[in-house]
Amino acid sequence: MRRTKALPAIALVASASLVLGACGGGGGGSSDANGGDSTIAEMAVARGESADGYTAPETKESDQVVVSTDKAFTAYNNATEDANQSYNTFALVLTQPGAHILNGNNKYSLNKNVMESVEVTSKSPQVVTWKLKKGVTWSDGEAWDCDDFYLAWFSQSNSAKKADAGKYFKAAGTTGYDLMSGECKDDQTFVGSFSSPYPDYIGLFNNDVLPAHILEKNAGVADITKLNKDSAAADIQKAADFWNEKWNGFTKDLMPGAGPYVLTAFEPNQSVTLERNPKWIGAKGGPAKIILKAVPDPVAQAQALENGEVAVNSMAQPDANAATKLKGLSAQGITFGAGPGLSFEHLDIQFKNPVLAKEEVRKAFFMCVKRQDIIDKLISEVQSDAKPLGSLIFFPKDEGYKDVYAEKAKGDPAAAKKILGDAGWTQGADGVFAKDGLRASFRISHTDIPRRKQTVELIQGQCKEAGIEVKDDTDPNFLDERVSQGDYDVALFAWSGGPLKSDKKSIYETGGGQNWQNLSVPAADAAMKEAVSQTSISDSLKLFAKADEEIANAYGSLPLFQMPNMWAFKGLDRVYFQSYYGALWNANEWQTK
Amino acid sequence: MIQYILRRLLISIPILLIGSFACYVLVATAGNPLAEMRFRPGVTEADLRAAEVALGLDKPVVIRYWNWLTDFLSGDWGQSIALGQAKTAVFPAVTDALWTTGRLVIGAELLALTLGVAVGVLAAVRQYSIFDYLATSTAFLMFSMPIFCVAVIVKNYGIQFNNVLESMGLDRWLTTAGPRPGGFTGSFGEVIFKYTGTFLLPTVALMLISFAAYSRFERASMLEILHSDFVRTARAKGISQGRVIFRHAFRNALIPVSTLFSLNFGAVLSGAIITETVFGWAGMGTLLVNSVRQFDPPMLMGWLAVTATLIVLFNLIADVVYGILDPRIRLG
Amino acid sequence: MANINLASEGGVVNSAPQSDSHEFDATKTRTQGQLVLRRFLRHRLAMVSLAVFVFLVLFAFVGPFVWTYDYEDVTSKSYQPMSGAHPLGTTQVGKDMLALLMRGTGYSLQIALIVAALATAIGVTFGALAGYLRGFIDTALMRLVDLLLIIPQIAVAAIVVKGFSGSWYVVALVLAAFAWMSIARITRGETLSLAQREFIEAARACGASTPRIIFKHLVPNMIGSITVNATLAIAAAVLTEAALSFLGLGVQPPDTSLGVIVLENYGQFMNRPWLFWGPFIVLVSLSLAVNFIGDGLRDAFDPRQTKVRA
Repeated sequence: MRRTKALPAIALVASASLVLGACGGGGGGSSDANGGDSTIAEMAVARGESADGYTAPETKESDQVVVSTDKAFTAYNNATEDANQSYNTFALVLTQPGAHILNGNNKYSLNKNVMESVEVTSKSPQVVTWKLKKGVTWSDGEAWDCDDFYLAWFSQSNSAKKADAGKYFKAAGTTGYDLMSGECKDDQTFVGSFSSPYPDYIGLFNNDVLPAHILEKNAGVADITKLNKDSAAADIQKAADFWNEKWNGFTKDLMPGAGPYVLTAFEPNQSVTLERNPKWIGAKGGPAKIILKAVPDPVAQAQALENGEVAVNSMAQPDANAATKLKGLSAQGITFGAGPGLSFEHLDIQFKNPVLAKEEVRKAFFMCVKRQDIIDKLISEVQSDAKPLGSLIFFPKDEGYKDVYAEKAKGDPAAAKKILGDAGWTQGADGVFAKDGLRASFRISHTDIPRRKQTVELIQGQCKEAGIEVKDDTDPNFLDERVSQGDYDVALFAWSGGPLKSDKKSIYETGGGQNWQNLSVPAADAAMKEAVSQTSISDSLKLFAKADEEIANAYGSLPLFQMPNMWAFKGLDRVYFQSYYGALWNANEWQTK
Repeated sequence: MIQYILRRLLISIPILLIGSFACYVLVATAGNPLAEMRFRPGVTEADLRAAEVALGLDKPVVIRYWNWLTDFLSGDWGQSIALGQAKTAVFPAVTDALWTTGRLVIGAELLALTLGVAVGVLAAVRQYSIFDYLATSTAFLMFSMPIFCVAVIVKNYGIQFNNVLESMGLDRWLTTAGPRPGGFTGSFGEVIFKYTGTFLLPTVALMLISFAAYSRFERASMLEILHSDFVRTARAKGISQGRVIFRHAFRNALIPVSTLFSLNFGAVLSGAIITETVFGWAGMGTLLVNSVRQFDPPMLMGWLAVTATLIVLFNLIADVVYGILDPRIRLG
Repeated sequence: MANINLASEGGVVNSAPQSDSHEFDATKTRTQGQLVLRRFLRHRLAMVSLAVFVFLVLFAFVGPFVWTYDYEDVTSKSYQPMSGAHPLGTTQVGKDMLALLMRGTGYSLQIALIVAALATAIGVTFGALAGYLRGFIDTALMRLVDLLLIIPQIAVAAIVVKGFSGSWYVVALVLAAFAWMSIARITRGETLSLAQREFIEAARACGASTPRIIFKHLVPNMIGSITVNATLAIAAAVLTEAALSFLGLGVQPPDTSLGVIVLENYGQFMNRPWLFWGPFIVLVSLSLAVNFIGDGLRDAFDPRQTKVRA
């Protein structure tokens, strides 16, 4: 790595004054750190974004950038059951373009570099047309076109089933694609007809468009668009075998890129290298080479940034030690950022439990938990402005978010006591409320993650004041069988949320596949049922908001906080950790300072 | 000798088999590699069952072990079955990790051995000198030092050292987060610079601990020899001090250290795992921790098979070396 | 397998099998014991170490009753600096570091002592049985040792802790399962030579049972090496436990240990150094003290070695 000799001197001069500044700050959030022209919040929006979509902007060319993240890249096809993990997406976002990009605020923009439009052409039945831009190619020169969309749909729709009802394609998820039947009108037009309305169609074809021509050539399939559920089993099997296993790891010839970058090198468990795609249709520029390196320990990541081995840190798991370290390095020109991430911690209540089946116990429990205190202790070091989460379905940045838990979970032990007292519960000699032979006592079950243990520790102390006894149940295998069998009183774990809400239905509807807590709120069921059958996303969101409020009124599950992502960088103009796509989502726009 | 080696290897076979079965059962009952799948949107219990059947996880442990064993012995080490691992093949994954750990350990151990023997011999020859006290107390301190703390300290001060270098207008030298992606390129000088920068910190951390053991061991065995009758006889015959030390005492004092070098493998491995973790090398340690976290039996079994075989080999080497160096011991 | 004993955990040459075992006259045992005690008391370094060790034991087990904060108390603010109220600051969740350190030292000591006791009991029993009875028992024991030698302890600990439980006693059991082997080997070696002696033959001729011969005749004659190795096993267990916990493969919350405390706080090395150096110093003084005590004991039991060793 080259390095200008003048830089250290400047850094030293700058540090003298900035160290003083940092001390005065009193350890508050440095999300608006020094040196940047724009604040961290502004970095959530890509430079190339405009009202009608995203177009890659002119970007200064620069040298190599090394980016660290928690885990290693493993596969080029991230849509399979075996491979699916965010850390693949972190690298693939630059090489496999899709219909939309998702910015740091989880807002979709049409990817106008490669797309003409995505439109609903009929409401009933719902038909959506994806129009692709002409002239987009993969780095091997083949066209990026409707074939690739067809493959993405066909492989993830589970429309073709084996004779024994088994799956050919082992897709990680089929949501949305399974409601659709797809066809290529021409090379640039993909038409999807939905068997039932699907408001979240904007979430399709964004990160799963793979080179169909490679599969055709290597699997011996003449034309992927001619494959359908009625094709010969052997032909589908050939395609599926390739799709399931051959896009693992990295093989240069099988893995071209159609985005601003292509994968060029891979060291298993360590790093994956991306280089600028010479055939990229959008504006050229950005770092010549990006190395995405796995450094599992967050403190080690921070030290590597301090030591100049990497230019960007990106961590999907919050870590207070690394945060302290990175914030302390602002004098050396390191910008630290933290923002709410994908997943949120929550306490699910098991309705089969006789004590918790009583509404007043749930009400009192919600009331005694001091969520802000938990956040202050566990999250604030990372994200100083973190607040309790007020919804199970929406994140604060989402359209339609309303805090429906603020009044229900005030962290007020006196109020909690009153709730129980009013319902006829009396405090026993041990300080725990009891009524009709039931004691206000239950376990909180969770896995052995230290943060969860600490959360329970804090809740134990808080609810003790309210006469509720909370027991700790740490079980490393809790999320394996027990959680889905409903074998718990209160479960502490995290769900991943996202901009699209249809996935929430199976968690909260009566008898839903992931409704392990036996929650049953008829009004919410009705609202959610209606919500997922809307064609328009905003109508759907309103209904989800209604369901959210109904669930809150039933005191079914208490959202605690959104887990923050954190990242830091040095020498670059703007970096933002996009919760799904990682730090590289707009790396083609990075410029050196 | 060959007969002895063969017999030793034959004895190892049932031990390796029993050990592998115990490990397999332990791993298989510890947890479910597909647990995380439950949290993917839209995944039903039926999908989960289907995935379990596809991986053979529905079969009894004994049958799974048998299948693993027969595959393993026929050279098919299988694939990772953990989610997110994209069916990585076990064999290359384990050998890569072994190579990563190996390049770190071999250098550190050789350095530790050389330094340890040198310091040990000097300390024994100059018994009760300042050097001896210094060497002994350093070794004792290092010995009582948790290796991870040494690694953490070395790493943090390494970064500070780089800052000093940079403030003097020089390039940053030492790296802290694993080998450089893409290997070492550039002119000869640059390669040396990068190579030493990459290896220095973890090597020092790993070396310090082993060095303590070797130097103390060498000092003790050297002392024992120096006080033995045949050395006294040699001295009495008027052979020069240097000749006594190197021709007579040193050679004999090397015997226990050389066996320690091979037998110490287990301790060195765990030291390497810790050093690796602190310095972000994706070697055997990372592989072990990841495959345990994900309850990935094929990967873990590959890991255990390789380490167990190496331990058996190193033990054998230790005995053979012992037999060669010390003619009083007959193997057979 | 060559019968060299490394006592590699202790790192100190133990020449027990090679050296002549000390033969005590049964009637003079008391005087012999007094001799040993006097030699030990005269060993200055060992006495200082013993004082440090006693201090740490008091710190761990009496300290919590004296000190203001409880280790479970999370009411303080996160990351308070060093002050009169919190001499070592507070941790992220607001626990007082000093209180936590007492608790961690307690757990580490508990684990180490249990490991040493178990390993010594198992090792001495098995080793003496094998060395005395020889034949099948001996072979079976040596095969068991071979079996345990090929499975790295770190892997077994990882699997057990991640899959089953990370309570402190589980960690102690896993450590003990791997710590008894070196003691068994040493004991076996000593027994092999002791068993040839007349007094054992005499006991056998009188019709003494095997357990009686082992525990009344053999063990008392090996008390020196047993004590020394048990002490060294404590030091080794402290460090091994800390290393496993540092990797996240040892003691799991709600239990804690010195290793866990270092793991949770080493990232603060530069920013809040006291959070790292506090547990570090306790850990090092504990293992140094125990090692020196072991050294002193060895010198006391085996004066022949004093000449050789500094």
